Amino acid sequence: MSLGNYGRARLRSGLTTAGVTIGTALVVLLIALATGAEDNVRRSIFSIGDLRLVTVQPFQPGANGLSAVPRTITDDTVAKLKGVAHVDGVYRQFDAPLGMVVEGGDDATIRPQGIEPGAPVDRGDLLAGRHLEAGDRAVAVIPGNIARLVAPTAGAAIGRTVTMRVGGAVKLGSTRIGGSGTPRDYAVKIVGVFDEQASQTSFRIPLDDALLAGAENRGLTPDAIRETTGYSGLAVEADDSINVADIVKSVQELGFSSFSLKQVVEQIDQGFGVFRGILAGIGGVALLVAAIGIANTMVMSVLERTREIGIMKAVGASPGDIRALFLAEAAYVGVFGGILGLALGLAGGQLIDRIIRQLNPRTNPAAIFVVGPELALGALALALGVALLAGFLPARRAMRMSALSALRYE
Amino acid sequence: MNAPLAVEALDLERTYASGHATVAALAGVTLGIRRGEFVAVMGPSGSGKSTLLNVVAGLERPTGGTVRVDGEDLAKLDEEALARHRSKRVGMVFQAFNLLPRFRVVDNVALPLAFSGVPAAERIRRARAMLERLGMSSRAEHRTNELSGGELQRAAVARALIAQPAILLADEPTGNLDSANGAALIALFEELHAQGQTVLLVTHDAQIASHAERTIRMRDGRVVDE
Repeated sequence: MSLGNYGRARLRSGLTTAGVTIGTALVVLLIALATGAEDNVRRSIFSIGDLRLVTVQPFQPGANGLSAVPRTITDDTVAKLKGVAHVDGVYRQFDAPLGMVVEGGDDATIRPQGIEPGAPVDRGDLLAGRHLEAGDRAVAVIPGNIARLVAPTAGAAIGRTVTMRVGGAVKLGSTRIGGSGTPRDYAVKIVGVFDEQASQTSFRIPLDDALLAGAENRGLTPDAIRETTGYSGLAVEADDSINVADIVKSVQELGFSSFSLKQVVEQIDQGFGVFRGILAGIGGVALLVAAIGIANTMVMSVLERTREIGIMKAVGASPGDIRALFLAEAAYVGVFGGILGLALGLAGGQLIDRIIRQLNPRTNPAAIFVVGPELALGALALALGVALLAGFLPARRAMRMSALSALRYE
Repeated sequence: MNAPLAVEALDLERTYASGHATVAALAGVTLGIRRGEFVAVMGPSGSGKSTLLNVVAGLERPTGGTVRVDGEDLAKLDEEALARHRSKRVGMVFQAFNLLPRFRVVDNVALPLAFSGVPAAERIRRARAMLERLGMSSRAEHRTNELSGGELQRAAVARALIAQPAILLADEPTGNLDSANGAALIALFEELHAQGQTVLLVTHDAQIASHAERTIRMRDGRVVDE
């Protein structure tokens, strides 16, 4: 019956529906834009590294985050962290002083990084060869750009021995700067080549080799280095990214500064939540205007059909029947408007996406507008809810009309 | 021995506030209508006869006294129950027909059933049967603006009877009809009465009232003569 009414006042119902359609489309578009932007940022972050990692740094954050106080990471620290709940692994790292590779014609500045087998930094980015393994000594996994100085291809560099000079003068860009301590040469065999996207200077070498090089550079023993200088950092791996916050807390309780992508992501999520809220608010204003339109249409409809309401009441329509009739009319506007608005929002997003790509072919290939099932269903529910809310007062007015006075209404 | 009354009014009052004064449309009406009776209520305009009918129909609430229709005390009914009373216990025929112009005749006739939970297909089936009974089958699919006055009122009677009400109420049903159509409508009422239908008719026309079994005369909100 109410569907009949919707069809009767076609122009008016159509215009009211158009209001809801535009409002819903705007909400969908704006939230999809925010979601798309957030997805993009998150994807870029995930490509940087593992969300399960917490990096422990050898200093304590200063008061007000201003000045950091140096702290020594020792094997005692490592043992304590290994005992923390949800910690899957603790990987020590020691950076030997900067150095150079002097073989292969052109010399290149390198950073010898002493790591443990299976360390997160040495995973899954090999161009050739293998990762570091337990028991390795005098070997290195090196970046592709340096491997190509040694041999024509990354593969051909495997098995070659190069001279790694630790300490002494290094070249930074075109300037040479004096190095620290006594320069010393080490012969290392290349066992693996990794993609230089991760780093163009890092030499991944066994932890003990790095400690030895660092000690000899300063005329100390490796044990003294462990005790006094400490490790350059620790990579702590959680069993699951949801436990990262707990681990970060434990690290702070031990008095060390930490860094985790997970926390960065959480801050970004918060920021995007605000962003999305603002955009949804703008769309919401459009829906509010549509709601006023629905309310107006319904008030007119109730007035226009006063006599009809009287007749229906006279032949037995209860107040609830009349209210249901008008709420159903509002619901049709909401449902039709919601579906059309969702379709319009999806189509509009696609169109804008295409136009942007035409104007700028170098646009990030990820989708600009992202509409998930929650957004789609949420938009429909919102349109329906707004329509019902807008229809509520006019429906109540119709419900409360006296049958006799409604019958006498001209 | 006495059959239960279709309508039983005891000292029925209905007053309206009109500015500072109160106007009594019904000033203590007591009457009884037996089942199967055909009763006409006559009186000049302002005598309270339409108010009486509206109270019996459940369109207005009395301000005093009691009224029972088919044994039910209307004062005890809430809005929802009063709506059910209108859809099931009574059938009302108005002077102005009061059909919905944008619906087909069959939909108009079926309308009261829509508010008592009868499924749509069953509503239409019963409405067609009722139109058939009143000789209106050929008009079932028409819109109301395609019908003559006599046909409109016949459709209104069909609507009033669709839920098999205990009592058929009619307020000046011939008021908008020419004399031929008016006579035909009264003949229909007599025929329905002959089939056992209780009929309560309000009119100011003695000619129309003469077709009823019994005439109740009203003046100034009171029954003056039976």
